[in-house]
Amino acid sequence: MSMRRNFLDLARAAVVGTILCAAGQLGYAADEYAYDLVHSSVSFKARHLDISWIHGRFNEVDGKFSLDRENPSKSTFELTIKADSVDTANKARDEHLRQPDYFDTKQFPTIEFKSTSTKVIEGGYEVTGDFTMHGKTKKVTLVLKGGKEHLFKDVKRVAFSTELSLKRSDFGFDKNAIGPIGDEAIILIDCEGMRK
Amino acid sequence: MPDPVLYLQAMGFAAFASAMLIFIVVGAVHPVTLKWMNVASVLAIGLGLVVGYGLLAFRLNWPPANGLDRLLLVIVPATLVLELIVSCWSEPRRIAWLMRFFLAAAIPRILLPGSVHLDGFHGEARLLLKPVAELIACSVLLAGTWRMLSWLSERSGGCSIPLALALTIQCTGLTIMMAGYIKGGAATFPLTATLVATTLAASLAVKRSSITATIGIGMVELFGILFIGRFFGRISTGFALTMLVTPLLCWVSEFPTLRHRKPWLVGAVRLLLVAIPLIAALVLAKLDFDRAMTPLLGQLINV
Repeated sequence: MSMRRNFLDLARAAVVGTILCAAGQLGYAADEYAYDLVHSSVSFKARHLDISWIHGRFNEVDGKFSLDRENPSKSTFELTIKADSVDTANKARDEHLRQPDYFDTKQFPTIEFKSTSTKVIEGGYEVTGDFTMHGKTKKVTLVLKGGKEHLFKDVKRVAFSTELSLKRSDFGFDKNAIGPIGDEAIILIDCEGMRK
Repeated sequence: MPDPVLYLQAMGFAAFASAMLIFIVVGAVHPVTLKWMNVASVLAIGLGLVVGYGLLAFRLNWPPANGLDRLLLVIVPATLVLELIVSCWSEPRRIAWLMRFFLAAAIPRILLPGSVHLDGFHGEARLLLKPVAELIACSVLLAGTWRMLSWLSERSGGCSIPLALALTIQCTGLTIMMAGYIKGGAATFPLTATLVATTLAASLAVKRSSITATIGIGMVELFGILFIGRFFGRISTGFALTMLVTPLLCWVSEFPTLRHRKPWLVGAVRLLLVAIPLIAALVLAKLDFDRAMTPLLGQLINV
């Protein structure tokens, strides 16, 4: 009888322990955030005739990230930009940019970033990942500044900013079509995420 | 940026290479039969294209990444090989046309992979209907125009049919350029030059013959450029259809009043008839280009 009671106590302890452990794990699980299109932007600038800068933005962007404060290397970041949504405040130029000589948006409808490793740096994260544009994928490292949390109307929000410089010719853009617009483009990403 | 001097150089060298190869074959082979001339024409076009694109420093990707890569690296070589095979073993003709129709059926599908136009292939069945219908319609149009033009060439021969085809290809290229797709338009310069040079050189060697190989290659090139311009560039369906069927205006010369006239007159009428819609298309494209470029260049419309 006493042996049976001991066994039941042991089983109860195991169940309670498992539940507590699981709860503990849940407490440290990464927070999932969705890209807030209203309070975020992906813009770019490129040299014109090597004397000035042309600015533009992509109006349709989607993405998500998960932040693991306890184990930051497990944090992940993903961003998908619709190339067709390019907007330089000039309709004719936007149409031209959608053509196969530039973004070729019918063939390559999206520009994507998917992280492969993350590490904490002072004031943010250093995120390395695959950046795919114009059908070519290259490894890039983004320095994400920010990460401060804010509770707004019961929704937790986190924001990051980063700047990325790349050469269009590295992504298969035809050098002959680069013309008066410089080869180098600077992409500026300001991303605010809402916890799911 | 467009470079007219480079385009002219590429055209000149491509034409020279094609014509020289024809003359070498004419000098080396006796007698020069129609079969030999078809084989020489295919090789001359192939050589001219390699020279022309080499001079244009066209950067193409392998494996092909976009429509133009697929046209120049898969479809044009496949057509050259097909026409070479057909030229060497021309009998039975039904088999030759079966092979051509098979290629015509495959071309639209080869040009579109990975693009937004085939998104329906990965979705629900009802979404499949539109792309499938478009692909079938394109294949039927290509096969139909190809057969009709080859038939006319076999009926009455002459060099005006491939020249009309070359004229249409060049106007299509200029229109695509003016619509904003510079590389797509530039791709037509070597095509036109080799087609014209091969046709003229071959016509000097074999009088009043029908070199069907040049018709086939020209027709596939015209279709390919129009297809890319329509599905990846900004040219409209109406414009693409008009350009595709324009060479068929050569059939007007088969009216009894024209059919038995002197060959040069028949040829001139054909070229004139084809040139009229092409000039109209170019004028419209230029007007569109001016409208689009004015804000792009930052000029003030109302000062």
